[in-house]
Amino acid sequence: MPRPGFVLDVDRSTPPLLFWHGEGFRLEKLPPERTRVIYPPEPLDPMKDPQAAIRRALLNPLGDSKPLPELLFPDMKLTIAFDDVSLPLPPMRRPDVRQRVIEAVLDMAAEAGVDDVHLIAALALHRRMTEAELRHAVGDRVYDAFAPSGRLYNLDAEDTDAMAYLGTTESGEEVEINRRAAESDLLVYVNINLVAMDGGWKSTATGLASYRSLRHHHNVHTLQQSRSLMDHHRSELHSSNWRMGKVITDAGVKIFQIETTLNTDTFPSPFEFLMKREWEWTARDRALFIGSSKSLARTPSRITRQIFQSIKAPHQMTSVQAGEVGPVHEETIRNVHRQQLVEVDGQTDILAMGLPYICPYNVNSIMNPILVMCLGLGYFFNLYRNKPLVREGGVLIMSHPTPWEFHPVHHPSYIDFFEQVLSETTDPLRIEAEFEKGFAEDEWYRHLYRTSYAYHGVHPFYMWYWGAHALQHVGRVIIVGGEPRSVRRLGFMPASTMNDALEMASDVVGRTPTITHLHVPPLLLADVK
Amino acid sequence: MKLPQIPRLSLVSRLPFPFTAARTPIAVDPLPDKRRTGANYDTEWARSFGARMARLGLLEGVLTPAMEVLAVPDRRGLDRLRDLADADPPQPVIFAANHHSHVDTPLLLSSIPEPWRHKTFVAAAADYFFTSRVRSAASALVLNAIPIERTRVSRRPADDAAALIEDGWSLVIFPEGGRSPDGWGQPFRGGAAYLSLRCHVPVVPVHIEGTGRILRKGKNRPSRSATRLTFGEALWPGEGDDSRRLAVRIERAVAALADEVGTDWYSARLRAHRTETPPLSGPDAPSWRRAWALGDRGPKRRRPQERRWPDLG
Amino acid sequence: MKALVFERKVARYAAAAVAGRVRPGKGAAVGPLALRDVDEPELPSTTGWVRVRPRLAGICGSDLATIDGHSSRYFGPIVSFPFTPGHEVVGDLDDGIRVVLIPILTCAVRGVDPMCAWCLAGQPNRCERIAFGHLEPGLQTGFCETTGGGWSIAFVAHESQLVAVPDELSDEDAVIVEPTACAVHAARSLLPGDIAIIGAGTLGLLTIAALRHLGADHTIVATAKHPQQQRLARDLGADRVVAAGELPRAIRSLTGAMVIGDQLTGGVSSVVDCVGSADSIGQALSVVAPGGEVVLVGMPGPSTALDLTGLWHRETSLRGSYAYTRDDFMRAIDVVRDQQLGRLVSATYPLARYRDAIEHAANAGGRGAVKIAFDLRNEKERNR
Repeated sequence: MPRPGFVLDVDRSTPPLLFWHGEGFRLEKLPPERTRVIYPPEPLDPMKDPQAAIRRALLNPLGDSKPLPELLFPDMKLTIAFDDVSLPLPPMRRPDVRQRVIEAVLDMAAEAGVDDVHLIAALALHRRMTEAELRHAVGDRVYDAFAPSGRLYNLDAEDTDAMAYLGTTESGEEVEINRRAAESDLLVYVNINLVAMDGGWKSTATGLASYRSLRHHHNVHTLQQSRSLMDHHRSELHSSNWRMGKVITDAGVKIFQIETTLNTDTFPSPFEFLMKREWEWTARDRALFIGSSKSLARTPSRITRQIFQSIKAPHQMTSVQAGEVGPVHEETIRNVHRQQLVEVDGQTDILAMGLPYICPYNVNSIMNPILVMCLGLGYFFNLYRNKPLVREGGVLIMSHPTPWEFHPVHHPSYIDFFEQVLSETTDPLRIEAEFEKGFAEDEWYRHLYRTSYAYHGVHPFYMWYWGAHALQHVGRVIIVGGEPRSVRRLGFMPASTMNDALEMASDVVGRTPTITHLHVPPLLLADVK
Repeated sequence: MKLPQIPRLSLVSRLPFPFTAARTPIAVDPLPDKRRTGANYDTEWARSFGARMARLGLLEGVLTPAMEVLAVPDRRGLDRLRDLADADPPQPVIFAANHHSHVDTPLLLSSIPEPWRHKTFVAAAADYFFTSRVRSAASALVLNAIPIERTRVSRRPADDAAALIEDGWSLVIFPEGGRSPDGWGQPFRGGAAYLSLRCHVPVVPVHIEGTGRILRKGKNRPSRSATRLTFGEALWPGEGDDSRRLAVRIERAVAALADEVGTDWYSARLRAHRTETPPLSGPDAPSWRRAWALGDRGPKRRRPQERRWPDLG
Repeated sequence: MKALVFERKVARYAAAAVAGRVRPGKGAAVGPLALRDVDEPELPSTTGWVRVRPRLAGICGSDLATIDGHSSRYFGPIVSFPFTPGHEVVGDLDDGIRVVLIPILTCAVRGVDPMCAWCLAGQPNRCERIAFGHLEPGLQTGFCETTGGGWSIAFVAHESQLVAVPDELSDEDAVIVEPTACAVHAARSLLPGDIAIIGAGTLGLLTIAALRHLGADHTIVATAKHPQQQRLARDLGADRVVAAGELPRAIRSLTGAMVIGDQLTGGVSSVVDCVGSADSIGQALSVVAPGGEVVLVGMPGPSTALDLTGLWHRETSLRGSYAYTRDDFMRAIDVVRDQQLGRLVSATYPLARYRDAIEHAANAGGRGAVKIAFDLRNEKERNR
C-alpha cells in the first residue's frame, strides 16, 4: 500500500535534504523549528492489465457518448490527435501509453474497416517531434503504418490552409483548430494527464490550435488570473479553453476524448532513491547518491545532459477513461488528485525548491534560463490548490545552475528573447505589449517552426507569461547556485549557497521566516488550507 | 593465377584400427544400440548450474554476436511483451515461430528478451538433433534442446516439456514441425497449442523473415543476409479452445505478423479483421507459381563469377 | 624639450610586436618609443607656420597599433622617422589663443603648388601629395619628422591646420573634436536605412553621437563588449546595444531577415566597422543588406583574409572612411558641444608616465575608459 504524501516539520535531527539542481543535486540543511518539507505521495499501484483496461474504457464511455466501435464506420474520416513530446516527464519506458491507447483505437477502427485515418501530434506551437520521438510515442507499428504515407504528422499551426476557423466564444475569443480534425467524422484525442493542468478542453482547444486562437488565453492577463493553473475551476486559462470547447462542439466537431493518468514512479533503478525520503535511504542508496553526485560534478555538462535525458521513467497507468470531454476530465482529475494531492496547512514566507534537469519544453534538449524561470515560477509555484504555498510578498528560492545556454535548433526565438527582450525589461505586461507581435509574426521563426524542430517564435513569451502570476505574487526570487549573469538577466538574484539565499531573503521576510521546501519531483499538488 | 587445389583428406579415416573403431563384419548383425539417443535422450544435466552458465556464455559470447553479423536482425514488437515481462513471478511463455532454416533457433534465442532469455528450452526434432551422443549433447548444451517427435505428440517428451514449463521455463517451438522446403509455410501442428492448454501459459507468436536466404533447407554454406523478427501479442488459451483450434489461432497470428512485415500494421489489422490475411502456406498452385510468388523472399541469387578473358601473356 | 619620439629601430619594433601580442600596450615598454630631450622643431621657412604648445594630446588607435608593432607596411613610405606621435591636439599658440589641430598634411600645408585635385575640391583627406612638398613624408602631424607631434612640449603647425576653440569648450571637449570629425565624416556618408556599428571604443561611440546629432532617425544597433561601453552607447543614442556575438541575431530580428548558413538574407543598409579585424569585417558582411555598405572607420589590421563571395553575390560594398573635410571638422565642434563629449576623456597622464598611459589606452574598454590623453598643461618646461 503506497503511503500518502506528508509534511515534515524540520527539527535539529533532520538530515540535510535533497534539492534537485539541474543535472545534479544539492544537500541542504534547513533551519529547524520553522521549516517544513512537503513530500509527494508514493506511486500508486498501477492497473493490473492496462490493455484490457483501455478496451474496457473504450467500450464503456463516460457521459453522453456511445462506445467507440459504434462511432466507427467504413467510409468515415477518423482523426486521432495525441499529446506531444512534452508529456510525460521524463519520457516513459516503451510502450508509451499513447501507443497502447492508439493501437487499441486503431484495432477497433480496423475491425470497423475504417480506411481514412490520420494521426496528428497535437503540439500547437511546440517544436515538431522527430521521427524517433514519434516512434517512441506511438510505437513503431503505428509509425510504420501511417507515417510513410503522410497520414501521421506533426500539427502545423502556421499552415493557414490546414487550419479551420470555427467561430468566436461569447467573450470574443477566436477559435481556430486543425482543419482535418475539425472536419473529421470523429476526432479521437489521446491524452496523458501528468498534472492537473493537462487535458479536458485544453487538449483540443490548445493542442490543435493556432496562434490566432491561443493568444486569447496565453496572455498575461489570463495567466495572472489563473490561480492556479493546476486547478481548472479557478483558472482563467481553463475557463477560456472550456468556452472554446463549446464553440468546437457547436461547430459540430465530434470528439471522443481518451484521458489517462500515470503514477509518479518517476526514476528507474538504480535511482529510485530520488523518490525516497532521505532517512529511508539504504546504504546502497547513499553510496549511489555520493557516487553519482561526485562523478556528475566532474563530468562535462554536455555528457551529464545526455545521461539525464536518456532516463526513461517507469511510469505506469493508474486510470484510463474515455467518452465525453467534461465527465472524462472530472474523472481524470479525481485520479490525478488521488495520486498527487497533499494537504498543507497555511502559507509560508519562503518557498524553497530544487529544479530538476527537465521541464516540458526541453525533452532531448537544453534547459535554458527562460525554462528555468518557467519551471520554477510557472509550474512548481502553481502546484497548489486554494492558496499559493508562499504568502503574497514572500520569497521564492530555487536551486538550479541556470547556465547561459540554449539549444540552437529547438529554441532560436528563446535566444533572441533572452538577448533582446529581457535585456530591456522583465515586466510581462511590457513584454507582451512591445515585443510579442514582432516575434509571433517573424517569418524566420515561422520557417523554423514549420520545417525544422524549433519552438514557435512566440513560445518564449508564453514561458514568461506562465510565471506572471508568481512574479506578481512573490516579493523576490533567488536562485541558489545559478550563473549570476543569466540569473540577473532574468531579473532574479543569484546566491552561491542556501545560507546566502536565506540571508538575502531576510530583508524581505525578516530574520525568522517560515520556510516550506517543496520536495519535488516526483510531483505533488499541495492543497493549501 | 590459380593455386593448385588441395585434395580433401580425412585424417581420421586413414588411421588404422586400434586408433579407430573396427568395422562390423558384414556377416554379423550389429549389437543393438544401448546408448539412449533420439527421443529418449535425457537432457536433465543441461539444466544444471554449470551447463546454464556455459550456455549463458555461449549465447552472449558466441551466438548473439554471430547472429548480429550473419543475420543482421531487425527485432520488432518486443514492446508487446512488456506487460508479460513485468509479471511477478515471471510468466513462462511458449514462443511459436515459423521455420525456414537452422539459423532460426539461434537467431530467436539471441532475440528473446529478459526475463526469458536465459530460461528457455527448445523443442528439437529427435530424429535430427539427437541422432548421436555428441550431437545430442551439443544440442542439449548449446540450445537447451529437448527431443520431440516431429509428427506426433508422444508421451514422454510432452511430459518433460510440461514439467519444465511448470518449473518456470519457457519453450521455443516451431509448430510447422520442420524447415520449409520451398520458402512457404507448412500447416501448424498441435504441440505448442497442446502445451499451452495443458500448462495454461500464453503463446507468443513470432514471425521470422529472411533466414531462408541465409541457410535454406538443402544448403550447407550460410550466406549473410538481413532478417526480421516480429514478436506478436501473446495469445492466451481461451475457453473452448482445443489444441487444434488454438493451433489455428497461432498460425493466424503468425500469418498476421507476416502480413504486418510485408505491408504495415494497420493494413494487416484491416485484413485480419476481414479474415483476408494471406496464409503462410502461400498460394495453392503449381510449384513454379509458388516460387514466383515468393518474390524477394526467395533464395538469394548468386551471380556466377564473370568469365575472365584468358591471359595470353 | 621633452618629447616622446618614435625612432626607426627594427629590433625594438619586432620586440614591440611580440610584447603587444602578449598584452596590448606593452609595446611601449620595449619598443622604439622613448621619452627624449630633443630640440624644438624649427619653423619651416615658408609662410604661415606657428608654434603650438599642446595642452592635451589624445592617444588614438592608430598610435597604439604603431607602438605595439602591428601597423601595416603601407605606412612605411608615408611616415618619416624619427617622429613624435600625437595628432589629436588642443594647444596654445604663442599669443595665448587656444586652438585645435587639423593634423592632415595637405598640399596647402606642404606648399605644393599647384594643389592636387582633391585639395582643390575641398576634400583634403584624399590628398595625393602627403609624401611630397617641402615637408618630410607624413600623412598627418604626428607621423612627420618636420612638424613634431602632440606628445611633446611643442610642435609646429601651419595656419591652415588650426581652428580656434570656442571658449565654452573645455580642453577635454577640444581634444575629442578631431576623432569626432572622423565620426562625422563617416556618419555623413552612410546610405539611408538602419545602421549597425561594430565596436564601442572611441570611434564607435563618437559615430553614434554624430549620427544622432545629424538627425538620423533610423535604428542604430551597436555592439559593445564592456558594461561601461554599453552604458555610453545607449546614452549617446544607440537603440540597441548588444554583445558582439549577438549582433547577427539582433539584426536578423530587427530586419525580419531569414538566415542562410551564417549569412542573413537581408540586413542593415550600412555597417560601420570600428574594429577593423578580419572577424569584424566578416561579421559586418554577413549582416549587411544586399546592395549595402560596410564602412571601415577604424584603421584595419594589416592582415585580413576575407571571403568576398558574398560581397560579390549580394552586391555589397566595402569602403574606407578616412579623416574629414574642414566642414566635417567644424561640424564636429557642434557635436562635441551638444553631446558634451569631453566626458569621454577618461584619464590623463603626464608625458613621464607614458608607459602607463599607453597601457591604459590599449586596455581602455576593459578598464571602463574611453579616451586617454597626455596632459601637458602642468609640464614644468612648458610653463617656464
